[in-house]
Amino acid sequence: MTGHAPPAVRPVVTGLGVLSAVGHGLDALAEATAHGKAAFGPVTRFDVSRRRTTRAALLAEPVALADAVLDVTAQACRQAGLTAADGAEMPVLLALHSDLRTREVTAAVAAGAGAALGVRGVTRVYTGACVAAGTAVADAAALVAVGRHTRVLVAAGHLVEPGVFGAFDAGRALARDGELRPFSAGRTGTLLGDAAAAVVVEAGPAAERRGAPVLARLAGWGRAGDAHHVCRPEPNGDGAARAVEAALARAGADPTEVGYVNANGTGSPLADLAEARALRRVFGAHADRLPTSSSKSVHGHALEASALLELAVTIAALRDGLLPVNAGWLGPDPDVGLDLVLDGPRAARPRYALSLNSAFGGANTALLVAAG
Amino acid sequence: MNGPRILAEGRWPDPELPGGLPPLPGFSASSFSPLVAEAAERCLRAHHGADAPAPGRTALLLASSGGDRATARAIDTAAASGQRVPPLLFFQSNPNAVLGHIAARWGLTGPVVAISPAEAVPGHVPQDALDLAALLLADGDADQVLVIAAEQADDDGRPDRAVALLVAAG
Repeated sequence: MTGHAPPAVRPVVTGLGVLSAVGHGLDALAEATAHGKAAFGPVTRFDVSRRRTTRAALLAEPVALADAVLDVTAQACRQAGLTAADGAEMPVLLALHSDLRTREVTAAVAAGAGAALGVRGVTRVYTGACVAAGTAVADAAALVAVGRHTRVLVAAGHLVEPGVFGAFDAGRALARDGELRPFSAGRTGTLLGDAAAAVVVEAGPAAERRGAPVLARLAGWGRAGDAHHVCRPEPNGDGAARAVEAALARAGADPTEVGYVNANGTGSPLADLAEARALRRVFGAHADRLPTSSSKSVHGHALEASALLELAVTIAALRDGLLPVNAGWLGPDPDVGLDLVLDGPRAARPRYALSLNSAFGGANTALLVAAG
Repeated sequence: MNGPRILAEGRWPDPELPGGLPPLPGFSASSFSPLVAEAAERCLRAHHGADAPAPGRTALLLASSGGDRATARAIDTAAASGQRVPPLLFFQSNPNAVLGHIAARWGLTGPVVAISPAEAVPGHVPQDALDLAALLLADGDADQVLVIAAEQADDDGRPDRAVALLVAAG
């Protein structure tokens, strides 16, 4: 008994807002990721002269983190056509980095969203590293699927700042050559990126009744742990594989129905290999013809916001029928063996697309998305 | 959705178990991760005995309103000075790291989740954490949830406090 039966109420996405180094809104993100237009440049926001790595994907104009989150929540709620009366009944799940500013940012988001959208503050703050937003989306889907709420607003934000940059640099997690090359031969690490993203997750029947646009369906979701190490992934991607299997089971989907994977693909030598093994375990021979890319190669690693940013990329790929390029590619790593999208976007209309994320502590989340 | 059923509890400090907070190998500069690990260890031992791994799929859910302030301060201070940040602070820069330690020691293969409640009473599990544990159980990704609430000592002189509850569906 795994408890992953398809839910009676299917959650859908009716609003989406996004801001990243490639620009404002989903169209800018779709264009950059489809064509592999990487947004990395020198870090000028703070002093990096004593760091090994000096590049990241930064917003063109400085913005406060709470303002970035409020921007994307407004985009999402506007697109979903929500009124202030709708907002009053809507929980807000927010993913942020845990630091000395978390409480202050949360309070600013709560005040701003309350005034603009009518929500009653921030319901819960997720701080679980690079799956924080993926966990929040999965929980939102679960809340809708079990009938606890008609709709849930999920938001996340991460701006590159000196503390985390310095810690990642000291931990040798950042790419020495200043390029993020997921699954590639010669990959040396990740690069950080600014991002904020938000989605309105809504019960499918409720969206239908009010004639709301359905951007995508959250067909399945899964969360699982590696039980392996404080920060290294389980070498065979065991937890990631179980998260994907849970998402497939909830959707009632066969692995062969998945036609695109937006991979975690941080550019880390160890983590990319573990993820490739997880995909091989779940998809078997289908992995040889399953288009896969990591859009982190374009927008960078947005840490607590990464899963929501990458869900937005995945939704755009389904919307446009263009699967994003895995940028930064130098050549094949024979141990990886995935069908990576290289050179240019691949035209396809898959039934399902998978967005996979992993984090410190062996945390993994999988979101299975279908076109709206 | 019923509230979860409590299977075991562990806490630090505990008047019945005197002694200092044991250090946690690989973690430095902050009591936060040792605090979380010790409360979890006491709770899991109370239910499973000393033998790992724990059976079934157990999720880890850490709730901390203040978070690991000592590590956050150490990172900010090092970064502001322009000096190299101590490498050990890299992985403990987020609360998942100590959850990974506990999961590896006890073989806990469920979801790994960290939240920051707006308000918390040190030594008590916030209601929102219990609500989320109930959701994880009802949603089917976990058979049990180890809920840990931890708050570091503050400037007002309140001590480090943590409590861990192992819960299952009610």
